Amino acid sequence: MGLLAQKNPRFVIGKPTQDTIALKLDSSKTQIREFDNEAIQKYKAEKAFQYGEEDSKELGWWDRFWRSFWDWIDSLFGERQITGSKASVWPTVLKYVTIGVCIGIIVFVIFKLAGIDFKWLAGKSKAIEVPYDESLENIHEISFDDEIENTLQNGNYRLAVRLLYLQTLKHLSDKGVIDWLPNKTNLAYVKEVQKQGKGYEAFVSLTNQFEYIWYGDFSVDKATFAHIQQSFQQFNEDLR
Amino acid sequence: MEQEMFNQRTDLSQLSQAVEQIRLQLSKIIVGQQNTIDLLIAGLLANGHLLLEGVPGVAKTLSAKLVAKSIDATFSRIQFTPDLMPSDVLGTAVFSPKTAEFQFRQGPIFGNIILVDEINRAPAKTQSALFEAMEERQVTVDGHTYKLAEPFMVLATQNPVEQEGTYRLPEAQLDRFLFKIEIKYPTLEEEIEILTQQHQQDTQHQLEDVKPVLDVKQIMALRAVIKSLFVEPKLLAYAAQIVHETRENKSLYLGASPRASLAMINSAKAIAAMAGRDFVTPDDIVKVATPVLAHRVMLSPEKEMEGLTTADIIAQIIKKIEVPR
Repeated sequence: MGLLAQKNPRFVIGKPTQDTIALKLDSSKTQIREFDNEAIQKYKAEKAFQYGEEDSKELGWWDRFWRSFWDWIDSLFGERQITGSKASVWPTVLKYVTIGVCIGIIVFVIFKLAGIDFKWLAGKSKAIEVPYDESLENIHEISFDDEIENTLQNGNYRLAVRLLYLQTLKHLSDKGVIDWLPNKTNLAYVKEVQKQGKGYEAFVSLTNQFEYIWYGDFSVDKATFAHIQQSFQQFNEDLR
Repeated sequence: MEQEMFNQRTDLSQLSQAVEQIRLQLSKIIVGQQNTIDLLIAGLLANGHLLLEGVPGVAKTLSAKLVAKSIDATFSRIQFTPDLMPSDVLGTAVFSPKTAEFQFRQGPIFGNIILVDEINRAPAKTQSALFEAMEERQVTVDGHTYKLAEPFMVLATQNPVEQEGTYRLPEAQLDRFLFKIEIKYPTLEEEIEILTQQHQQDTQHQLEDVKPVLDVKQIMALRAVIKSLFVEPKLLAYAAQIVHETRENKSLYLGASPRASLAMINSAKAIAAMAGRDFVTPDDIVKVATPVLAHRVMLSPEKEMEGLTTADIIAQIIKKIEVPR
């Protein structure tokens, strides 16, 4: 309270009592002491003082492996003093190559886990996205004319009708009328053709013929096949 | 044209006629819902029990009653309530003072078409009373086994499980239903038509207009025809693959049983017959896949939290499997 009541506090700096300080010289005698090497060796031999690294003999093979691995990494990237013109540049090169490879592997794993396609790197786009483990047949890889001829030579008209239908699907796919995928049913293709308008009724008829023969196990003779083949050929020609 | 080229091996004319007649009867009252009507008829022809699910007021009970009315067979209705006992469903032994013996009094389960309304409002204890009846078509009470009359069909209705006062049906019971038919809200046009119909005519009178078009004998004959339809072996493998995939799929906690595979093939046959074919196509299998499988499988908790439904996963599974062609 008394301090607060003071209106004009004043700071007073005292005058130095002496301008110079005289230092006394140390005249005491210094005794030089040295390490007792024997004692040091004795302590070093004691297990209680060996707290640097564990004895590798006591480690398991797995721990020894990792110790060697980290020693190697340390030798690659650890600080080293290189002097003189003979210092090799290879350790530095090796260091950056290793770092690059490691980064590459990590990026690859991340991309793979994320399901990112790498085909764009090769300049190729995905032709057809097939979300299957495996696809039995790819209609774009079948040589239909040869296959149909072989099948007819064997008198297998049922299989020939199947090939004719697959060939028609290929034509429709090539023309962009349908989006061919092996998981789609015939009705899905019929709906896609219906959207395009052109050839809808004819395609429904061809689909029915194929289904009766292939799924319905209806027998087909040479004459019936000729009739069916003609309707398929007509449809494919109209598609062009 | 195809009919001319390929002579039908199976006479499906009677079946087509019957299907048309049932469709006509149901369409008198039910507006739209063509898929629901088709599945109801397919279920009837495939000798299966049907579970109709939908929010209150979408004509679940009415649809079930209409199917029952279109068949000349004994019909009984059980309203499932939380205090219902198994004996209320199956029947119970009653002491007869005249004979001084206990006599079995049949419960409402003894009938041809059984409408179980609001099935999921009764607890699991009562549900289990239906297990034997639905699968083995018999009832065992006090050591006596009573055979149920053929045809025996359970038409059950339920609100979605999220609704107040409902229980989840036991998996074993769900597996016994051939289809779960989800009845959605009508479209705007359909709703206007419902209102117009209601305004012009009393629904009660319309219900009386519905006449039986098939009798028990005819149903049994049609079922025999459907059983004889041809299924290409590759399509059997296709159906089996779809069902198998439900057991491997990581989004599903519980896959479908072999009973589901059988249900798929039987109902696909019914769909094929309704389309006038005596053989099954992959489209028939795809059409029945969701109503057959969606109620038999269970979502993993993570997928449930993501808001997915079993129908979504079934659709994904179908997309993964190559159609035999």
